Amino acid sequence: MKQKLGFNGWLYLLPTLILIGIFSLWPVIQSVTYTLFDYKLNDQQKSGLYLNERFNTDLFHETALYIDLFLSEDLANITNNEDKVRAEETIEDVKSVSAEYKGVDGVIEITSGQRNEIVRLYEDTKGIISELTAEYSLTHGDSLPLLVEDFNKSIIPSNFIGLAAYKEAIGDKRVHIALWNTILFTVVSVSIELVLGLGLALILNKAIKGQGLVRTTSLIPWAIPTAVAALMWSYLYDGSSGVVAHFFENLGLINQSQDLLLSQGGAMVSTILADVWKTTPYMALLLLAGLQNIPGSLYEAASIDGASKFKSFFSVTLPLLKSSILVALLFRTLDAFRVFDLIFVLTGGGPGGATETMSIYAYKTMFGQTNFGYGSVVVMIMFVCVAIIAMIFVRLLGTNLLDRN
Amino acid sequence: MKTSKRKLLLLFSIVVIGYLFIMVFPFLWIFITSFKTSGEIFGTGAFNIIPEDPTIKNYITILFEKGILRAIFNSFVVAISTTIYVIFVASLCAYAISRFQFRGKSILLGLVLAVSMFPQMIITGPVYNLFYDLGWLNSYFVILPYSTITLPMAVWILVTHFNQIPLALEESAKIDGATRVQTLTKIVFPLAAPGVFTTAIITFIAAWNEFLLTITLNTESNYHTVPVAISFLRDQFSILWGEVAAATTIVTIPTLIIVLIFQRQIVSGLTSGGVKE
Repeated sequence: MKQKLGFNGWLYLLPTLILIGIFSLWPVIQSVTYTLFDYKLNDQQKSGLYLNERFNTDLFHETALYIDLFLSEDLANITNNEDKVRAEETIEDVKSVSAEYKGVDGVIEITSGQRNEIVRLYEDTKGIISELTAEYSLTHGDSLPLLVEDFNKSIIPSNFIGLAAYKEAIGDKRVHIALWNTILFTVVSVSIELVLGLGLALILNKAIKGQGLVRTTSLIPWAIPTAVAALMWSYLYDGSSGVVAHFFENLGLINQSQDLLLSQGGAMVSTILADVWKTTPYMALLLLAGLQNIPGSLYEAASIDGASKFKSFFSVTLPLLKSSILVALLFRTLDAFRVFDLIFVLTGGGPGGATETMSIYAYKTMFGQTNFGYGSVVVMIMFVCVAIIAMIFVRLLGTNLLDRN
Repeated sequence: MKTSKRKLLLLFSIVVIGYLFIMVFPFLWIFITSFKTSGEIFGTGAFNIIPEDPTIKNYITILFEKGILRAIFNSFVVAISTTIYVIFVASLCAYAISRFQFRGKSILLGLVLAVSMFPQMIITGPVYNLFYDLGWLNSYFVILPYSTITLPMAVWILVTHFNQIPLALEESAKIDGATRVQTLTKIVFPLAAPGVFTTAIITFIAAWNEFLLTITLNTESNYHTVPVAISFLRDQFSILWGEVAAATTIVTIPTLIIVLIFQRQIVSGLTSGGVKE
């Protein structure tokens, strides 16, 4: 009889729960939040998640300082006394509002009263500056009108956009292409791997000789880092020095060796081949283990009943191998769908986006353009696809997957 | 009957030999290239099987100028520390799952399985921000988010292994008057050791091969691991294939050694857990 898990028992689970909580679950929730905001790290007004309006005091203080400085310098150029007084009043106004936020820095929340005051200051200052620059030739006549705009920019509008980014993504051609590329890559490479892997496993299951050698050799492509494998293949595919490209050209599969990585179709074929090379052995090993679990007596019984080799493959091997195949397919399909390193190193998504998958597009958006909001939307679409794939397989497997434990 | 069987065997042998050739050829070709001079690689000698003028210059450049040793060192630090803490944490969790009855057990297992299916990209953005705020970018703290990839897998394999250890052994130890600690150290650990070891190797390889988290969180080349450092060789203005080949050869050696020594454990780990790539 298994013991009940007491309070102390929960301590066994605690470290795992903490790690999964912080580094897996919390980031997912966080990513969902990102999708609802126009969140761009490199944009001063959008570099945070602002549900309400905020006030950038740093920018405000800096602007106030320069307006005070420039306008004071230009007082000498203002000949009309009345205008001069107005300019001095503006300087005082800027100083007094700035003084209210003395000692405050960073991005803060403000009340609507404070907001109105800042907007009023902006409009007043802007009006006077445009009058003065039209009337007189000021030393800082070019920079003052630009400078005053920063008062307006120091009020950060809410960048909450709701589901607008999802709407944009649904109409985004680049998302369509990336999704199509991902599906194409996944379906083609996993199908080839399944057929080759199954064939190989069947052969290995028969031929006892040399099995150890084959097993060792198979593990190496699986075990080396994908980035290393991708770099290796990029050399073999290279237009001028690549031996595989040269070989394909001689076979007449491609017109010239440069086509392999630099043409759109060629690049996709190349990435699929590299993936097949790296993961077929893994597939074969998984299926071989499944095959070795099928008792030999079943085949004897089948042959006594007069079943042909062919028949016994379809009525004994396949049904008994079903759950091994499904588990292997599940993990391979998910891995192929999430493919990143291989394409990132081999083609970088090119040429012209021909091999850009969802992960690559998301990575480029998030870390290339620092657009975390839209990048997260792309990731979320991928997440939903992965969830659907997983659910289909878990359905097909029944409760097998969890029952084993 | 006899001849057709022999023909089939011959066909099988050809397929297997062809397969072995395809698997080994890229490594072999890279190995050959690493001893060629740039002139030979980019000139008419690109497809020579034996280098005209063998040189070890590529290795010298890669080892002493391009910092590949630093990357190998980083990879060892990151992979070993990840393996140690993940195995510790996962063993506790898997032991509890395998030995105790508690509510929410299937939810926990389902959660572990679900996390192993997450697209890794989904955690990189928030983890990047978290590390930025904590000042952890460009540090070895990157091993903590490595748990997303390695922990669920480790728990899964370990549960399978622990389930194979008969509960009766522990019970009879208890009847014989062994304390809880004695049961763990004298019965459970020795029996669980092979399974734990298998899991450790799989975890080590997964951590060694990790790419996305390192390239996003550790942008400084001082903290690059092998896969990331290797990928940057591709980015250079003109790709020096001789150096790329030498670097690839060097970084493949640790993996090769691990596979040769631990292949039994690796295969058992892969097949018992239905592990992901």
